[in-house]
Amino acid sequence: MGNVAVQGLRVRAPGLAGRRWRQAGAVVIGWAAFFGVWAFASEVLFNPYRLPGPLTVADAMWTIVKSGDVVTTFKASLGKIFLGFGLAAVLGGPIGFLMGRSRYWKAFFHDPVVVAGSVPGITYAVLALVIFGIGLEGPILAVALVSMPFIALNVAAGLESVDSTLITMSHAYRRRRTEILRHVLIPTITPFVFAGVRLSFALAWKVEALTEVFGSSDGIGFMIRRSYQLFSVTDVLAWTGLFVIFMLLLERFVLVRLERYLFRWRPREAAA
Amino acid sequence: MSTGTATRFERSVQRTQEMRFGTRVWAAVVSDTGARVTSYIVGLLAWQILGALYERVPGPIEVVQFLADEFASGDVWPNFYATADRFLWGLAIAIVAGVLFGLVIGMWPLARALLKDTMMVGLAIPAIIWALLTALWFGFAWKAPVLTVALTATPFVAVNVAQGVEATPRDLVRMSKAFGVPLQRRVRGLVLPFVMDYVFTGVRFAIIVGWNGVLLSEWFASTKGVGWRTRYWYDANNFDGFVAWVVLFVVFIVVLDRLALVPIQKRVFRWRTTVARR
Repeated sequence: MGNVAVQGLRVRAPGLAGRRWRQAGAVVIGWAAFFGVWAFASEVLFNPYRLPGPLTVADAMWTIVKSGDVVTTFKASLGKIFLGFGLAAVLGGPIGFLMGRSRYWKAFFHDPVVVAGSVPGITYAVLALVIFGIGLEGPILAVALVSMPFIALNVAAGLESVDSTLITMSHAYRRRRTEILRHVLIPTITPFVFAGVRLSFALAWKVEALTEVFGSSDGIGFMIRRSYQLFSVTDVLAWTGLFVIFMLLLERFVLVRLERYLFRWRPREAAA
Repeated sequence: MSTGTATRFERSVQRTQEMRFGTRVWAAVVSDTGARVTSYIVGLLAWQILGALYERVPGPIEVVQFLADEFASGDVWPNFYATADRFLWGLAIAIVAGVLFGLVIGMWPLARALLKDTMMVGLAIPAIIWALLTALWFGFAWKAPVLTVALTATPFVAVNVAQGVEATPRDLVRMSKAFGVPLQRRVRGLVLPFVMDYVFTGVRFAIIVGWNGVLLSEWFASTKGVGWRTRYWYDANNFDGFVAWVVLFVVFIVVLDRLALVPIQKRVFRWRTTVARR
């Protein structure tokens, strides 16, 4: 953030407004350079047939958006992701609870959770294909298995960070267990769960798309596979572009908004 | 404090000696090692049950048998060798390019503003896209898997290195600038040691995503290698062979990560006290 100010002596540092303009300018130039290199590679290094330029791909993206395919496809994929996350929360929450509460279960679940977190995505994709064939269950299960370790580990870390004096005090004032759960445990754990969801979100998206490439009849991965089988580099790139845009938008806007909403009770400086 | 733990230890030894056999067994079962062993046994049992439920899933015994045959026929090592060759080349490219990009992004705010979004896009593109694109571009050539690994892993290294550079203590950077330390020495003496930790994290990520990438690329466009062999058995409808190869490449990456990368990371940074980390 404040890199420019730190960079040199005070004399050279431009004002706040000037700094913003320079940053914005650099971002625009960055994108221009990105598309420039792409266009150059398309025209000079390869040829437009092997690597279509940005304009061709943008045109293809616009066709997809206009035809309405984009809505049905992303709706299919998003549904699977949400179901997968739900399953991961249902499975990972209790596992994390056990891990945070008892030493035995921590040792018990440690290795499986770590292994599940570092297994390559292709494993889930091909195993889902073998077990379920082509259908809905494969991608849902893949998303659940990929994000579960993150949720479990974060719930466990959250439980370990619960302020034990608060619990002692609640006992002293004769609060009921449900009240302690509602007002002490859950508010402490929620940020950790959310961190787990945010960490695993990008990973879950990718594995979901990958599983759809291997075995699905709808969704973003299926569309990419179809384009590949038609040898259409343009369509592969167009769907990739839509995938990346959608993922970044979801991450930037939906998750950040949700975070702000969930933690609105926090004091400002703690949130920042 | 040390005497306290010693007496507690002696007391626990004494107690163990006094305990009856049944109690000792129970203590072993609920110990940490006991819990880990139990979890592996439960895992194997779950696999066995899954194999019984689904016709297409082989149980552990079939898989081990198949692996023994595959090792005996000499099909394992040549394929692993082919994959390792592509994987390491791609990884080398990714590390060199990623460290360079990361240093540039971390050290110059302007470069950061220029390249940050490109890196975000690079992080967001899944390995499968690169695998399919390189397959379309180069066909079944050596370049396809190597480039897949390089393109997938580079952003992970770059982003981590850039984070490391940004975490170097500002005061030291400013002081060395004020004393006119040349750029080369500033990088070698101050930025690099501080960044090493982040480089290691980046390389670990790169290895995990790169391994995924090389397998995917070989699945779609290759005539040898681990990914190709896995697909070969899948296409032949031989699920024993297919799952055996999946187990092989999962075990490979997990063992590499747990037994090589984590200990190396610990060893390299054993000089560091906990205070030094920010």
